[in-house]
Amino acid sequence: MTPDDQELATLLRWHAARAADEAPPPPAARLLLDLARPWWERWPARLRARADRLRAMPPAFGYAMTAAERQREGHPVPALVVADEASDGADVEAWARVTYLSVQAGRLRLRFRLEGARGTPGPAGDAFEATFVSDGAERPPLVARAVRSQSGEHRIDIELPDDLTDRWAGLKVTDRLPFHFVLHPATDAE
Amino acid sequence: MGYVWFWTFWHWSKEGWRAGTLLDGPVHGMAGHWDEWYRHEASPGERAAIAEAGRTPASQRRFVAWLARRWAADARWCGAHPPARVVLSQLAVLAPFDEWAAFARYRDRWHVPGIAAVVLGEASAGTADDVRTVEAICVPAESDAGTPPVVAQGFHVDPAELAAARDAVASLLGGRGTARLLALWVAAGQRPWPRPVAIALAAGWVAAAVLVAWLLVGPDPGGALPALAGALLALWGTLAATAVLTAAVVAAGAWRAGRRVRARVLRGQLRLRMEGGLTLIGGSAGLPIALNMLLAALRVRERGDAGAWLWRRIARALRAAAPAWAATGVVTADGRVHPVVLAPKLRAVLRHARVAHLLAPAQREASPRAVAQARLSTRPATPAAGAEVRLGFAAAMGALASHRARHLAHATLAAAGLRSRWQAATGALALVASALVLPALPDLRAIVRPPRAPEIVAPTSQAPHQLWLSLETRHPRDFVVTFESGFWSNRRVPVVGGDLAGRGHAAIPLARRRAVLPVDVTDGTLWVERRPRFLWRTFAPGARVGRYSLSYVSRLHD
Repeated sequence: MTPDDQELATLLRWHAARAADEAPPPPAARLLLDLARPWWERWPARLRARADRLRAMPPAFGYAMTAAERQREGHPVPALVVADEASDGADVEAWARVTYLSVQAGRLRLRFRLEGARGTPGPAGDAFEATFVSDGAERPPLVARAVRSQSGEHRIDIELPDDLTDRWAGLKVTDRLPFHFVLHPATDAE
Repeated sequence: MGYVWFWTFWHWSKEGWRAGTLLDGPVHGMAGHWDEWYRHEASPGERAAIAEAGRTPASQRRFVAWLARRWAADARWCGAHPPARVVLSQLAVLAPFDEWAAFARYRDRWHVPGIAAVVLGEASAGTADDVRTVEAICVPAESDAGTPPVVAQGFHVDPAELAAARDAVASLLGGRGTARLLALWVAAGQRPWPRPVAIALAAGWVAAAVLVAWLLVGPDPGGALPALAGALLALWGTLAATAVLTAAVVAAGAWRAGRRVRARVLRGQLRLRMEGGLTLIGGSAGLPIALNMLLAALRVRERGDAGAWLWRRIARALRAAAPAWAATGVVTADGRVHPVVLAPKLRAVLRHARVAHLLAPAQREASPRAVAQARLSTRPATPAAGAEVRLGFAAAMGALASHRARHLAHATLAAAGLRSRWQAATGALALVASALVLPALPDLRAIVRPPRAPEIVAPTSQAPHQLWLSLETRHPRDFVVTFESGFWSNRRVPVVGGDLAGRGHAAIPLARRRAVLPVDVTDGTLWVERRPRFLWRTFAPGARVGRYSLSYVSRLHD
């Protein structure tokens, strides 16, 4: 090793030691595990509150006023768009009109349009982390990433556990769907 | 067979809707369906075929032409062909078509030019840019959740204004508006026959009017009266039957076809596009919006439905005329057109190179005189500083014809070029002639086919100064009794009355002649003569149809 190489090696070791001194201390394993837990486990009260709020959301569209010939209505799925989970900011109510629902070969493919009150455009967002909230369930049965497609709808494509595959296999878009959405804006999109 | 993949997608979309996998129908949900199918359902072979179809601009244009002409003509959904332009515009923004040059023209337009709307921009005093192209298209009905009946793309407008325009169009197609439209057409609308026939019919009405005038105020035709009356009857009858039959057939056809189109409008969805991204305030775009909705509805034709002559004519004329027309006016739900602020809009239209006709409400500012004055006072728009071409202020404005309308029906006929002054004049003449001929029909019939000659029957009576006769006839007005005698003064009296028994009577005043001939008081002959008449005019007595002696009549006294 030449003298120049030795000096370079010394310099690099000095830089590494300095970076190690300046680096923040590694988080505790407990904190790391906590960060990896889903939000409803970290804040179970929020899950209960949001589930109650989703159940209480009135239907956005006056089914009773629909003309008799419009038989195909679908049931908008109540949704809450979370502004900032960490600060427990105000959630925005919206409705997800499911336009495509397919359960095949153990996979769920679903597309929905977010709409605000009275058919106004819903909250914008390229991608959401969609938490499926079911009535009576202690924990959400499914979490999936909903990515905005070129047509403006958000799309979910995820493998279902066996019990959900059996329960949801016969669902149609015109059925009253057995879940609500809690949508967290995703930090990056596909 | 190069586009099987598109048929595969279409059938996947239809079957998905039927199976409950897809909420939106194949037409309304075309964008989302294609996005899903292309990205996640299409096989590698199908994607390769799609890529091949888009490989060159020529192959892309072939696909667009096939979709617009072949696929749209063969595909069916909800009893109608899918609107190719709507399909193309939805696909144009999705992969892979968003990168195809052949789809570029469909990304923000449907290319169904309609009647332009004059909508002033903020702080605009009236420029050519304020004349805005409007496109409208009717999408077949689908039982879609939450599908609004009218959708505005590219601009914002009060939904109530769109609803009012749609209701006005629905009324025009199959409601009170239809009655008004048909009444206007009957009064002054072009007829479905060729010009030589129209000229011949007009000449016929002129001839009928001349005959009526002659019979009323002309010289007594004498022996030619039956021929003249017969000619008038035949001529008027033929003309009236032709007019009534034509009106009835056209009106019935228009009513039936209009109801069908109206049903399509009410079931389907109307989509409107206007350039500029404006938010409309004030409602003055109601008239052009309504006219374009009508045009869009008439464009949709179901297979086997030839439609009615009137609506076909209106549709064809509106399509051809639309590029040269602009309109402004507030439209209510029952089709009435209300005035608007017109001066700056007039300036805008005058400065526009393409518009030659303006549809406006029936207000003074839209009169031809006001338009001519506006034309003189409007200068061409000055181009921006630094522009290479500079127009002089002496440049002439294009000619602009202003058409005023109180109702959507007026506006429709005007825009379709169906209003005819010639027909209006002929119709007025026909109306006047018919108003005179109709009440005179019994008189004409009596001239052409005289009633049976009456008999003098009992009772009769003879007083010193009067001879009273009964005649058995149901048409007393058509006869006179002439009394000729050597002892009594000659008299001619009308037969009047007409009781339930079918008898008239005549009262003949008796007066002795001054110069009495050597005859007795029973000398005298009663003649029953026909009395031709036409309305209030009585012609010279005609043929003698009965002869009775005075002595015979005297013995009839009960």
